[in-house]
Amino acid sequence: MKCNKTLLKLTPLFVACTLAVSGCSSTKVQRVDANQEVALSDKWNAKDSQLVAEAMINDMLSFPWVNDHLQKEGSKPAIIIQSVRNKSHQHIAVDTFLNDLKRSILRSGQADFVANKDVRKEIRDERKDQELNSSLESQNEMGQEYGADYALSGTINSFVDEQGGDRVTFYQVDLRLIDMTTNREVWNGQKKIQKLQERSRFGF
Amino acid sequence: MQNNIITKTHFTFFTVIYLFFLSGCQSTPANKNAILLAQQGEFESAKQTIRADYSANGKSKLLHYLELGMLNHLQGNYQLSNQQLTQAQQIIEEQYTISISESALALLSGPSFTTYAGKVYHRPLINFYKALNYNALANQTNADRQSFLDSALVEMRQLDTYLSGLKDATGGYDEEKPSGLDLLTEQIDNLTRPLFAPNDLLKDIEYKDDAFAHYVSGILFERNQELDSARIQYQRAIQAFENGFAQQYDINPIVITQIKKDLIRVMAMAGGYSNEVAKLKSELKITTSKTSQPVLNILQDVGIGPQRKQFNLLLNVDEEAKALVMTPILWGTQREQQAQMRWFQMLYADTSIFDLIQNYATGDVSDIVMGGLTKRIPLGPIWDDAVDIGLISALQYGSRISVTYLEPLKQQIDRSEIWVNNQKVANLEKIYSVSLLTLQDALNNANSEIQIALAREIVKSLTAQKAISATGLDASFSGFAKLATSVVNAVTASADVRQWHSLPSQINYIQLPVSKGEHTITLKTYLTSGIVLEQSETIQIVDDVTLWHTRTFLQKTRIETPDSTFL
Repeated sequence: MKCNKTLLKLTPLFVACTLAVSGCSSTKVQRVDANQEVALSDKWNAKDSQLVAEAMINDMLSFPWVNDHLQKEGSKPAIIIQSVRNKSHQHIAVDTFLNDLKRSILRSGQADFVANKDVRKEIRDERKDQELNSSLESQNEMGQEYGADYALSGTINSFVDEQGGDRVTFYQVDLRLIDMTTNREVWNGQKKIQKLQERSRFGF
Repeated sequence: MQNNIITKTHFTFFTVIYLFFLSGCQSTPANKNAILLAQQGEFESAKQTIRADYSANGKSKLLHYLELGMLNHLQGNYQLSNQQLTQAQQIIEEQYTISISESALALLSGPSFTTYAGKVYHRPLINFYKALNYNALANQTNADRQSFLDSALVEMRQLDTYLSGLKDATGGYDEEKPSGLDLLTEQIDNLTRPLFAPNDLLKDIEYKDDAFAHYVSGILFERNQELDSARIQYQRAIQAFENGFAQQYDINPIVITQIKKDLIRVMAMAGGYSNEVAKLKSELKITTSKTSQPVLNILQDVGIGPQRKQFNLLLNVDEEAKALVMTPILWGTQREQQAQMRWFQMLYADTSIFDLIQNYATGDVSDIVMGGLTKRIPLGPIWDDAVDIGLISALQYGSRISVTYLEPLKQQIDRSEIWVNNQKVANLEKIYSVSLLTLQDALNNANSEIQIALAREIVKSLTAQKAISATGLDASFSGFAKLATSVVNAVTASADVRQWHSLPSQINYIQLPVSKGEHTITLKTYLTSGIVLEQSETIQIVDDVTLWHTRTFLQKTRIETPDSTFL
């Protein structure tokens, strides 16, 4: 009887210990809108990529080179993306950012894109294959490619300042557009993002 | 009568178990076994061992990712290695926020029940190995080459941010960090500090900056023609090496001379530093102004780092001297027992004048004689309080305190030679010592570790004592209940000996001027046992700066696995 009472007294302690040791973790997954920002850290994320691409392309297309080209050539300018180098302290999916840039330009309808070197090579291989294997009516001719008028390139840089649990991260994206005939820089754009991350030293 | 027999049997059983747990049990950790398997080329078994013993979600999840990251690096699975090392970085970052509930649980159990957060010097090493992986990936592909090279530099920038924070916190190798105490408080602090380890022993052993990491950063930046960044990193490396890093980690000053030559080269290439270049040339007595030649940097990871082990102390009460007494319980092989005793005498035993006077004042002459074998904490005026709160009664059967120790480091390598196209060119020099980092980290934490362990065991004993009194077991079973709780406490009182085991014991380095084209490189490692290990590789020198990185295990006669990274 006395033993039972003792056990009864110890039960809450056992339960508390078991809970503490096992922890109360669970996993929950939910669908969220791809345009909605889910910022779990101060790292470069999909929303940054999208916002920077849109802002920079709007700025690029507001410069006089578009109208100048239209007046001179009578057609939409064709752009090729050379490279955007990641010189920041974070691993950034540069390809995703480039795709955001392309989408923004194509959506504006004011300029065209020319495929880059690797894609061009693949397409040329495909055309060679067509010459051998496709019907004459459906074959695409060699030597009919559209040459780029302008080359887009740039860098992503960052600075970090950290003190205790607080960290300020500053991203700067620099892009430039070069006239491939004259080497003139017809546009130079810059977009900055600053993020503050605050971490608590203690938590439960 | 039957009850009595049962009680006696249980008492004997618990006593045996108690003595066993008081001594603790030493076994080789699974991650050490894994790297020993990798040493024999059995990578899949090694990885299986890690997966089986270190869950990806458990308290030692960091070790899961660190060890698998290193094993995949050694196996040439660079992409996978980087994914795992990135996870490890994230886990370390998450540990910035200290979990109060976990800390409370640790106070009632032991440090091995907390989430392992790694050591302060692990972060730069993660960046280092990730950068090597990215460079190796760049070397394997043309399509994404630039992207991989950029990613390697991202790691170096993260490393720079981390080291800046570290320098802010520790003062780096620039200047003495002010203690923040006024003179009188500092004097009192100095008087009371020798409670455990003597001050001089623990002086200048803090990990304050990483000269090696700065230097590797410089090499990678130079390789990518980022000359300003390379110059800054070389300058930081020189400053840290000269102001204490070289002395602290026993690095030959010849390494510093090499970095100064590198600095001259990048300054000359960048232009605008003629005064600085002239000053450095004069310091190094360089008279020629020959044009720069391609250089080959060779980094050799050697061996396996030392193992952190656990040794135990028995905490009990000397009622006559009104003091708590800690006595080491030596366990294991003779070599281990000797190491435990030396560690105890070096760091904890009552061997300082301060301790001898204290023992003389509180005990008898035998306490002074026993000084080298025990550590006494006189309670003096707080003895009665200790009796009132039940501490003295709680420690009736003693308590186990566990702390970490390292066996004395053993020199296994005599020298490493580099041969190019069958001609001996130079000897490699040690540039980084994980062994000394591990040892100094253990020494640096020894004081706080034993104090926390002592506090924890006292709290546990008191809590158990109160639970016994509250449940009435004290009256029914007397000493049996106390002994049983002492056993439970002893079981959980293990020290935290978790560590990243697959790290090398040291890293050797040499830089050679080479001509562009194909070269056969042979690395000969001469062990103190007389064995010579040879590793050869044919490499193409295309760039002005090339890095060849390899791992040499000391228990093999020939390396057969893809263990080198040509960058």
